[in-house]
Amino acid sequence: MVPIARRMLFTDRRRALLGVAGVAIALVMALTLDGIFAGTTRQVSRFIDTSPADVFVSQEGVRTIHMAISLVPGAVADEIRQLPGVVWAEPVLFSSDALRVAGARRPSYVIGYMPGGRGGPQILVEGRDPGPGEMVIDDSAATALDIAVGDEVEVLGATWTVSGLTTGMTSIVNTSVYVTFDDLATALASERTASYILIGTEGDPEAVAKSIEAAIPGVESQTRPRFSAEERSVVREMSTDLLNIMSFAALLVGLAVIGLVLYTSVLSRLRDIGVMKALGLGRIGVTRLVLIQGLWTVVSAFALAVAATFGIGAIVASVAPDIDVVVETASLVRAGAGAILVAAIGVIVPLIKVWRVDPATVFRRPS
Amino acid sequence: MTNTALTAKQLDKIYGEGTTEVHAVRDVDLEVQVGEVVLIMGPSGSGKTTLLSMLGAMLRPSSGQIVVDGNDMTAISESRLPKLRAATFGFVFQDFNLLGALTALENVEFALNLGGVTGHQAHQRAEELLTGLGLTDRLSFRPDKLSGGEKQRVAIARALANQPPVILADEPTANLDSKIGHEIARLLRRIATEEKRAVVIVSHDTRLRDVADRILWLEDGAFRELHTMATDPICGMSVDPQGAPHREIEEETVYFCSTACRDEFATAGSDGRHAAPPMQTEDGSGGR
Repeated sequence: MVPIARRMLFTDRRRALLGVAGVAIALVMALTLDGIFAGTTRQVSRFIDTSPADVFVSQEGVRTIHMAISLVPGAVADEIRQLPGVVWAEPVLFSSDALRVAGARRPSYVIGYMPGGRGGPQILVEGRDPGPGEMVIDDSAATALDIAVGDEVEVLGATWTVSGLTTGMTSIVNTSVYVTFDDLATALASERTASYILIGTEGDPEAVAKSIEAAIPGVESQTRPRFSAEERSVVREMSTDLLNIMSFAALLVGLAVIGLVLYTSVLSRLRDIGVMKALGLGRIGVTRLVLIQGLWTVVSAFALAVAATFGIGAIVASVAPDIDVVVETASLVRAGAGAILVAAIGVIVPLIKVWRVDPATVFRRPS
Repeated sequence: MTNTALTAKQLDKIYGEGTTEVHAVRDVDLEVQVGEVVLIMGPSGSGKTTLLSMLGAMLRPSSGQIVVDGNDMTAISESRLPKLRAATFGFVFQDFNLLGALTALENVEFALNLGGVTGHQAHQRAEELLTGLGLTDRLSFRPDKLSGGEKQRVAIARALANQPPVILADEPTANLDSKIGHEIARLLRRIATEEKRAVVIVSHDTRLRDVADRILWLEDGAFRELHTMATDPICGMSVDPQGAPHREIEEETVYFCSTACRDEFATAGSDGRHAAPPMQTEDGSGGR
């Protein structure tokens, strides 16, 4: 079969390119927003994801770090250590405050961990672990705040000296700093409690988590994947409305562009369509013609948009390391489905136009 | 077995109603035989295009019947008409109406696709048709790279693609120069004779009279007997002497399509540059 639909669409390359680019821009908007959102949720759960702990214990009913306060009696860590399957158990304290230096400020988690323990920074790119009155901060936040190892910063109403730099702990939302457990306990006046207990296990972490909940009343025990998923979902729930509005806006832009592209393509070729009808192209044939054109536009636009989104992700990573653009399969499926929906709606007006073309127009002189 | 390719009986077409009613075609009877070339002439607005649209199954008559290749086109449902059109008619247009996005070969292939022929078979048949019309080295050219004569030959190849019993040509030589116009006229004649097609041509072009078996004169939507026709020496149009502007020159009457042509003749022809053509006689109902 002669690929008439594709030929008609792409003969005027400039118009076709503009149309494909227009739809692609709308899809890039949606994909990039989704990517930034996915990246942010991953960053938010990075403490959990990079922790060597297999199981996390919190106050009963508290299933996240973000938007939650967990208080667990300090003695719980000792009780957990006695349980079968538990290799180690370490308490950590969590608080949040703004990191202040020379008038600049940055929202931050403050994580208190046992010196030499497993709750501290997993990577040190410079300096050493914190001692009393010291903290480790993220290198990205250090660059943004123009501070270095040895400088002083303020947090929780006290002054701390930067002893080292870690990496990967700054997101678009906030950063994380590490101090000793005792320093944070003193700052919070919470010497006999922990926020969470990190647990290393042997065997099935799920079984260990269950046994902890069974043995110790008043605690919540989750494996790392489940705790991480809970953490991401709370961020997602907080941003869903905003994301939906932005995606809807992108969908509307895409709809307007594809409708306009197909409509102008059809308008400029009404005589050709009249000729095709005169030659014997029926209603199904012209419908297929317009649908294929719509499909070609969105498929080309989708491919372009995916490539552009990965490109944007790479550029963003080099100029703004705090922003992580992660293109997930689910996001691609959503954008693809949205593009198909846009094409399906966008072809309606052009379809009505071509259905009404009178084949007898071929006998009229073109004006 | 009948030798009639197309029959139209008591065709009427009325547009609008009441005070805006226009009777575009009235009581037209037409029978075209296989291998015959029928030329329909007439002034602008006489109903030629409406008649051609009805004969080509693109416009429903208000009343009457059109039978082509045994099919009553007026009784067939709208949804079946396109397919039947592809199989029954080949169209040749004044403006060629080739699809600009396709090459010459693809234009013909596309028509074959509509007729149900696809793939290699369609490709081969399209190539044969275009080669047969001397377009071997123009197969991959888009219409905008072809001359007028080449475009019309592609259009004729497209019209022949599905081997339709009837070819309908609307002013097929109007946009062509004299030499190419003659070529196209002879080609249409050859198609009728050698390929046994019925060819109906609507045209103002008197050059086509040479290739027509019959010439019909359509005026005010009805066929009139074409007993005596003259040729306007200025524009070459066929003119019905009855009521036409005319001028007496050396005991001979010269007829014009308009007073403008007559005036031009008077200005330019007074020095003898224009020789008054003789009256031509055609029998509207008979053979050549």
